[in-house]
Amino acid sequence: MSDQTPDRSGTIALVPPRYGPEVVGGAEAVITETAHMLAARGWDVEVLTTCARDHFTWANEYPAGTSRDGDVTVRRFETQTDTPGVHRKALGDQLLSGRRLSIAEQQLWINDSLRVSGLWHHVLDHGASYRAIVLAPYMFWTTYAVGQIRPERTILMPCLHDEPAAYLDIYQPLFSGARGVWFLSDPEAELAERIFRLPARTEVVGSAITLPDRYDPEGFRARHGITGPFIYYAGRREWAKGWTQLLDAFARVHRAAGLRLVTSGVGEVELPEGMAPDRVIDLGFVSDDERNDAMAAAAAYVQPSALESFSRTVLEAWGAGTPVIANDDSEVVRWHVERSGAGVTYRSQRELMEALLLVGADPDAFGAMAAPGRAYVTEHYDPTRIGDRVDQLLLDWTTPPAPGGS
Amino acid sequence: MTELMVTPYAPYRDGIANYAVQEVAAARAAGRDMEVLSPLPSAAQHHLRLGSAPGMARLVNVARGYDRVTVQLYPELLFGACRGRRERLAVWGLLRALCSVTEVELRIHEIEYDEPVNDPTARKLGHAALSAAAAVTVHTEPEQQRLTEAFGLAPGTVTLVDHGSNFARRTETTRDDARASLSVPADAFVFLSIGFVQRHKGFDRGVEALDRLDDPDGRARIYVVGDIRIDHPDLLDYRHELEALCQRVPGAEFRPGYVSDEEFDRWLVAADCLVLPYREIWSSSVIERAGIYGVPVIATDVGGLAAQAPAGSRVVADDDALAAAMAEVAGLQLGDRSVAETTVPREQAAIQELIRARADDGSRAPLEADRLHQTPRASTDSARPGVPQVKRLIARVTGWQLAPVAEHLDEVIDRLRADLHRLDERIDDVEQRDDDAPA
Repeated sequence: MSDQTPDRSGTIALVPPRYGPEVVGGAEAVITETAHMLAARGWDVEVLTTCARDHFTWANEYPAGTSRDGDVTVRRFETQTDTPGVHRKALGDQLLSGRRLSIAEQQLWINDSLRVSGLWHHVLDHGASYRAIVLAPYMFWTTYAVGQIRPERTILMPCLHDEPAAYLDIYQPLFSGARGVWFLSDPEAELAERIFRLPARTEVVGSAITLPDRYDPEGFRARHGITGPFIYYAGRREWAKGWTQLLDAFARVHRAAGLRLVTSGVGEVELPEGMAPDRVIDLGFVSDDERNDAMAAAAAYVQPSALESFSRTVLEAWGAGTPVIANDDSEVVRWHVERSGAGVTYRSQRELMEALLLVGADPDAFGAMAAPGRAYVTEHYDPTRIGDRVDQLLLDWTTPPAPGGS
Repeated sequence: MTELMVTPYAPYRDGIANYAVQEVAAARAAGRDMEVLSPLPSAAQHHLRLGSAPGMARLVNVARGYDRVTVQLYPELLFGACRGRRERLAVWGLLRALCSVTEVELRIHEIEYDEPVNDPTARKLGHAALSAAAAVTVHTEPEQQRLTEAFGLAPGTVTLVDHGSNFARRTETTRDDARASLSVPADAFVFLSIGFVQRHKGFDRGVEALDRLDDPDGRARIYVVGDIRIDHPDLLDYRHELEALCQRVPGAEFRPGYVSDEEFDRWLVAADCLVLPYREIWSSSVIERAGIYGVPVIATDVGGLAAQAPAGSRVVADDDALAAAMAEVAGLQLGDRSVAETTVPREQAAIQELIRARADDGSRAPLEADRLHQTPRASTDSARPGVPQVKRLIARVTGWQLAPVAEHLDEVIDRLRADLHRLDERIDDVEQRDDDAPA
């Protein structure tokens, strides 16, 4: 047996479009988890990101410059949002309607949103001194633009969904030119294989899910004055995430089901007309602990999004012993549900309504379905095991930069 | 000293943007304080819509804040949105003004020579602007000479700058690995034509030349790698022609797609010879990149290619010389195109049948989806004074009626094209199944 210590010299740069405790987003959560996990294993880790907190406005809310988040160095750069976004909107609509955009139009589309010149030039100036530059998720300008600078050092964590943008030509070089691509799930990897020419180095790594030792569902109910059974949704309240679909179904059955809908995250709730305001409880942004307690207190967790590359919240719900009702259009969540047996999926609005009615009819019986969920999470997404996998992947795929960063 | 570079810039991917990024990286690495202004929003610190007199006037204003400005100059950057001769002349005047507010280098990648030749005023204003610049630089001696003559510049005004001095390797792969990764046969003799697909690049000439080689073992291959940048009917037509040509010529393969910088270089490593059969060009970044990897080049004698071509390259004058050069580097002979031994029947029907039989290489021609173009929009450009304004007025008056019709038509065409592509794929599948089925 070798007694050689693995060479973890050189800095690993992680590049998410947003980073910070108040940032809501799956890819951002994975990056945060990964940054700390690598730092704990002795890697020198830098997060290169923007000053933005909100992915709608991209306003510079955090100060630019260098700071520390535990053992992780965070370098923030100001966003530029000085274009009117007219092309982005018009071309985005055409993209959604199925029209093929020319390469010139695709370039116009990607550059007509946030841009981060400081971040881009930081990588241009210092990219050679990083051992690896990990970019996520694929669709944002930060990933697309920075991914062109040092592709030989770039590891892409695409967080890919089956959506029109994924088929744009401009993303082909990002995938094919990267040193390696790191996926969060088998369905995501299979989707990428269908769409892209992938480099030789690819791996399904997964994402670490840290489960708390204990939950406090009663405390959660007491803190928020919630009685009776409720369903829970945590995340971005926006159309693309299936929020309006969930709200519509809930509005139709909540009386019959005797349920409330509790939600946390960002975005407007926008209650349907005629619904009593007390039927939907918006907690706004909550801490990880509070979210976990909400998961534990809920009769079911609903994942209405079809655009998931991993879906951490589904796994967190199972960790809390709560069954999941998920959109069958999301291959990844369907895959989780099929493998764990700890939830159900719906293929139509009608099926979602029926699932909610079943929760209301007998929350305990419905909840029993969650029994295998926690074991599924700990077996597949244990932080130590995922950490070992990421650690080994970086050791195998990368080499320390030459002195002077040439 | 603060410097500004005016240029198309990443993440846009074109020759000048790539070139500029490498120059900016080198300058910043050397400790120079360099910022970038691009004509479209990009990774640059600033962007400004150029191509018109107001755009150039704003640039003059911005330039006052810098000690030195380098303009990566090509016609579209200066005149792309100009509405006629008067505005073009104004732009020349403003370029002269730019050169008076700070130290300016005009790095000329391309310029239209017809203008100074045909328009004495443009020649005079261009002469004044170029003479006022701190430096006017080009990449090759032919460009230097032609530019000097066209604008009547004093000898020494235009100087040479090495095109590839800041270019760095973007892959460390080996030839075998590169070929394996690109599905290129390890033992083939590989010709490569790579870049955006445009008629003036003449990639078809290289494919036609391959067809003339006497290659009984089928070892020589040509790969045409790249795609069109915009869905312009002319470009779509050319891509279609090129695709059809590659299907017809044994050993030719069209690899359409948008390649990464790394993949671009990987193709160079995989190639035995780069073929640049350009019909027209000023200078070429591709030839410089080939030089990094020591890939021999066969290039046509246009623009500055002869001056740029690395030692051992072959610069050819015409299609015959191109084919001869390709045969020579591949160790082959030119094929005998004599028809002396062909027996031509006397009846029309038999001749017709023979033609069909000879033309049929066994492959099915694809459905012509790419022949369907989107509805052309009338241009409001005109060199005649006042005409652009009138055209724009007419467009505004009629647009509310015509635009929805054109958009609807475009949608129908797009759907039809998509359906034809799908149908093509299904026919291929069916044919494949038939081929695979046991006899």
